[in-house]
Amino acid sequence: MTDTTGGDVRLSGISKTYGSFTAVHPLDLTVPAGSFFALLGASGCGKTTTLRMIAGLENPTTGTVELGGRDVTALPPHKRPVNTVFQNYALFPHLDIYENVAFGLRRRGIKSVKKQVDETLELVELGPLARRRPHQLSGGQQQRVALARALINHPQVLLLDEPLGALDLKLRRQMQLELKRIQTEVGITFVHVTHDQEEAMAMADTVAVMNAGRVEQLGRPADLYENPETTFVANFLGTSNLIEAEVAEATDEELLLTAGEAKLRLPARRCRGAARAGDTILAGIRPEKVSLAHADEAGSVPEGRNRVQGNITDAGFMGVSTQYVVETRAAGRIAVYEQNIERDGRLVPGADVVLHWSPENTFGFDADARSIHGVQQPAGEGV
Amino acid sequence: MRWLRRNLVVIAGAATLAYLILPNVVVTVFSFNKPRGRFNYTWQEFSTDAWREPCGVADMCGSLALSLQIALWATLGATVLGTLIAFALARHRFRARSAVNTLIFLPMAMPEVVMGASLGTLFLNMRIEFGFWTILTAHIMFCLSFVVTAVKARVMSMDPRLEQAAQDLYASPLQTFLRVTLPIAAPGIAAGAMLSFALSFDDFIITNFNSGPASTTFPMFVWGSAQRGTPVQINVIGTAMFVIAVGVVLIGRLAGSRRKRS
Amino acid sequence: MKTAEAPPPASAAAPPPPAPGGATGRRNLTPYWLLLPGILWLLVFFAAPMVYQASTSVQTGSLEEGFRVTWHFATYWDALTEYYPQFLRSVLYAGTATLLCLLVGYPLAYAIAFRAGRWRNLLLVLVIAPFFTSFLIRTLAWKTILADGGPVVEVLNALHVIDVTTWIGLTEGHRLLATPLAVICGLTYNFLPFMILPLYASLERIDPRLHEAAGDLYAKPFTTFRKVTFPLSMPGVVAGTLLAFIPASGDYINAELLGSTDQKMVGNVIQSQFLRVLDYPTAAALSFILMAAILAIVGVYIRKSGTEEIV
Repeated sequence: MTDTTGGDVRLSGISKTYGSFTAVHPLDLTVPAGSFFALLGASGCGKTTTLRMIAGLENPTTGTVELGGRDVTALPPHKRPVNTVFQNYALFPHLDIYENVAFGLRRRGIKSVKKQVDETLELVELGPLARRRPHQLSGGQQQRVALARALINHPQVLLLDEPLGALDLKLRRQMQLELKRIQTEVGITFVHVTHDQEEAMAMADTVAVMNAGRVEQLGRPADLYENPETTFVANFLGTSNLIEAEVAEATDEELLLTAGEAKLRLPARRCRGAARAGDTILAGIRPEKVSLAHADEAGSVPEGRNRVQGNITDAGFMGVSTQYVVETRAAGRIAVYEQNIERDGRLVPGADVVLHWSPENTFGFDADARSIHGVQQPAGEGV
Repeated sequence: MRWLRRNLVVIAGAATLAYLILPNVVVTVFSFNKPRGRFNYTWQEFSTDAWREPCGVADMCGSLALSLQIALWATLGATVLGTLIAFALARHRFRARSAVNTLIFLPMAMPEVVMGASLGTLFLNMRIEFGFWTILTAHIMFCLSFVVTAVKARVMSMDPRLEQAAQDLYASPLQTFLRVTLPIAAPGIAAGAMLSFALSFDDFIITNFNSGPASTTFPMFVWGSAQRGTPVQINVIGTAMFVIAVGVVLIGRLAGSRRKRS
Repeated sequence: MKTAEAPPPASAAAPPPPAPGGATGRRNLTPYWLLLPGILWLLVFFAAPMVYQASTSVQTGSLEEGFRVTWHFATYWDALTEYYPQFLRSVLYAGTATLLCLLVGYPLAYAIAFRAGRWRNLLLVLVIAPFFTSFLIRTLAWKTILADGGPVVEVLNALHVIDVTTWIGLTEGHRLLATPLAVICGLTYNFLPFMILPLYASLERIDPRLHEAAGDLYAKPFTTFRKVTFPLSMPGVVAGTLLAFIPASGDYINAELLGSTDQKMVGNVIQSQFLRVLDYPTAAALSFILMAAILAIVGVYIRKSGTEEIV
């Protein structure tokens, strides 16, 4: 229980059904010791259920949970070397902060808790508030008490269930850094459940994107962002423009695509699944990677770039950037984010424009991936 | 005029409060009366006789002691049984749930005459001797539902994640119950117990159907004296009970608010 | 009739909330052990007597010879024909008192909920405080307050109020004691807190901003009350009227102490049949009719008011 080196969390074939409803489909997942792992997904996707199965608060319908090589599936929560930071914190209202933090130590029969409690309160910078009651604390302070209450036990794994969900935006950003710092300091494995993609990307080493009880994709945040493999991931992590295109030519190096009158190039290694000529795939491009040129300057667009013609239907000024929605015949609606470095006064709704981007930044996957998973968000929405 | 219209509701509320408090004022004032004759209904002259000799009436303090005794035991019994039921209802799923709910609800929706008379009929036909035990049995019966309601409300409003958090922090099921569930449910249990005590102590109707000749509770004594003649000491007891109870409540609130502030 | 219940098990559409009481899905007997003693108590000392009473009501016999079940349903008919005035009076007095409780109690509950500010807790204590003095003693105090020649009677006579109430039939002569008005006044007083507390509980839950919103949307204060506040306080109104009406309809203390033989209610009859006349079948039949009548009235009332939840 006091093993600070942590341990792998290994879920094998774990699933959970309630009557006829499947909350989590059979799932294999390994979280390496000492890593910061995020389960990301919309509410109801099964991420919290997965977390609760690790904690022992939910019995898996099938499968096993292993912690550091030990099968703990049958252990009740109070016998697992795992602690949880609950959503809305679940601080004991009848105990003060000190006793809340000391709770786990006392239950394990440790008599002299003062030194450890003081140290832990120091770690989360709450020393002077030890004798307050939870309801006298602000949301951010309560959050840190919940963290201290779990961390003091030096669990092998710390589970965090939407720990920052109740905080306002500014505090949330601040606590993200704080949590990351603490995780690096204590070296415990963190499994973090969140619906906030920015939060997951900012903090986690590895992110698993969940949808409808399944893990859609798992990887480092940058990989997920650059190479989404399903429509759901492409649109849940940031926004993507997805263009339905037919493969005209396929080589080992590159795919040549046609979408309406436009011809697009896509590096073969950035396309998931083997694509042959005649297949229909979805080609994606992130809005911030698309450049915008007025139609009069179409000639200045360098050769070799993917280009699509269109007409601006909407422009929203966001401070650091301007977000355009461009209607194209070849690719439908395309969202474009332009940095506000030198604003071209002609780029207003109604203007004819040319969109262009580097083929290197294009990604692609099977068009079928759309029908299986999720719904495509309309371009221009989201972050 | 404008002021009057805006504060009409406050004035009406104050009038209602006066209507509620008036009898208590009369009770207190008449505890200092020195009536001529057996009934204490009209004001004669100021006297502190009754206050100096609160037990000066035959049998009255005996009935008071019996009432207190029954109220204490009934509170204990109803609180224990009611709390168990409340936990079952609030924290477990089981069959016959709605039947249990109905059985809890019905005693509260039943006029006391009906409950008192039917339980009395049963005791009568079972040839059980009327007295302390029959009264206590009846009191536990009608207090039970109120305890269940009070405790259940409290436990239901409690976040189930608190108990999960306790388990997550190495508390066994028993420790979870003792260290988390019970302390948090305590105000509900206390409220139910206080209500039980008040209901039991003040009950006349049900008691009247289930008491024996040797067991006269305080309300029964008052009822009897309404026929035979009302001693001033009744008002003394009434006033004392009022003052003690309000005092306890106010001190409790004061202590509570002070602790909150510090 | 239904009490407030725990939410039903979550449907398949949404992920169910965490099951209370730990994660173990296995069947356990804990709830049954928890229920056993209390439920047994209620079954033996509440439900069984009800059933037993039903059988008593169709018995015949006498105290000396003993009673036997003879399915003598005529007892019901006899009881009804003989005591229907008392039944009517019970419903009438209790109904009037309940209505008065609502009229008198609502302003106080409203004032405590919205206008009391920091005095809120103190006022609530004052509403409950009378309970601490035995209700018999307090009802006896009304005898003093309403006494002939007392200030209340004098003032009302001087204002000719009692002439009006006598004309309606609520009082007789120039006195208050031993009249229907005295009994109704006593009933109203006794069950007023049962009305005020649920009213307060439901009013207190109303967001005061709703008043501002209604005012912002061109509602005059009274319209705001009629269209916003009152409908939202309906659960309290329903609970309060039931909590006042049910005990009031079975009460016999007020009729006994403040009324005369002309104001006897059904409770008085049951009480005297049981304790003085020792005619148990009639007492049982009367109880049963009263219980059935109340259940019927309450059932219809709940259906009409559209609230299935009572506190």
